[in-house]
Amino acid sequence: MRTRAVLGSIFASLGVLVIGWQAGNAAITSTSTTTTSSTPTTTTTSGGSSSGGTSSGSNTSTATTGSSSATTAAPATGATDGTYTGSSVNTRFGPVQVQVTISGGAITDVTAIQLTNTDGRSVQISNRAAPILASEVLASQSAQVSNVGGATYTTRAYLQSLQSALDQAGF
Amino acid sequence: MRHTFETMGTVASLEGVDGVTTGAVREIFEAADARFSLYRADSELSRVASGALALTAASPELRDAYADALAWGTLTSGAFTPHRPDGVVDLNGIVKAQAIDRAGERITADGWRAWSLNVGGDILVGGPGRHTTGIVDPFDRETLLCAIELRAPRVALATSGSAERGDHIWLGGSAAPAEFVQVSVMADDIVTADVLATAIVAGGSPLLDEVTDRWDVDVIAVTRTGAMVATPGIRAALAV
Repeated sequence: MRTRAVLGSIFASLGVLVIGWQAGNAAITSTSTTTTSSTPTTTTTSGGSSSGGTSSGSNTSTATTGSSSATTAAPATGATDGTYTGSSVNTRFGPVQVQVTISGGAITDVTAIQLTNTDGRSVQISNRAAPILASEVLASQSAQVSNVGGATYTTRAYLQSLQSALDQAGF
Repeated sequence: MRHTFETMGTVASLEGVDGVTTGAVREIFEAADARFSLYRADSELSRVASGALALTAASPELRDAYADALAWGTLTSGAFTPHRPDGVVDLNGIVKAQAIDRAGERITADGWRAWSLNVGGDILVGGPGRHTTGIVDPFDRETLLCAIELRAPRVALATSGSAERGDHIWLGGSAAPAEFVQVSVMADDIVTADVLATAIVAGGSPLLDEVTDRWDVDVIAVTRTGAMVATPGIRAALAV
């Protein structure tokens, strides 16, 4: 029973992920939900802990909490590994269909398998800018650069600029 | 093999090019500056601004640049505009990039295989190799925000800011501060990169989303609070 709840949780999150990924267009229905959740056999061994905590109560559909023997590792043992294909959905970019790979109980890959516009030309729909942390770009700051880009500097500001230093060094 | 020269109120740095090509590149910028500068009272565009010359009687080059700017205005929902709030036609937002583009064509035609041209912080590179290029930190101009690899087909990097020379970005007459203090766009051509960087500074997040949905470009933008947003292509291009 716990497994069913966990699976429900996973697929609910998957649905959210896929819907979010599509930036608010029509929802994709995962074709795999019914088949995998039909056999709730749990392989959990621990009996002492009753914590759980992985299946948050936020999900409405299949979450039926019963047994209290699941550990926090339950998702890894419950979800069936494999690749699941969503149905094709028409968006303003053309038909879109995604494939989700689950490995070790976690989503490891989301791939667009059908992604064309009316010209038959492939387009990127996930090109939006997302927050990036300073730590993510930190390593690049020490790269040896041959030019420095920036908002247009005046001739005067150029003299104090990094570009000016590079030019004088003759790199 | 690095040449620097002043043009359009800033400094150009040309690398990997020599001989007659250097002079040809300078001439391209001098011609554009002489025609379009609003700092020179005798430029053609200054005469249009003062009313001495009717726009309809202006040279084909000027009218073409104006038409291009208007077309970009339409494409960017008006975020990019060649019209200053006071009504003066200012083509500063496009003629520099067009001159860089033209210079790039000349350099390539002359057979140079590994070159870069940086005009006031907007960069175009050429040749088969990688060009490790820094982007300045808008809050500390002596340090880099990050460095990215420019390589074909992503050969152009343009940056616009609301801090420095913010006078060429008009926030729709609004006195509200810009959401982004700096926007860099990496694209396959410098005009697209430059226009879209300017448009995103003017239009904020809604325009950023519109641009990344509709154009094949990569963007890294810095907000007033110093937070950054970037497209997947920027992450992939980060230098290591």
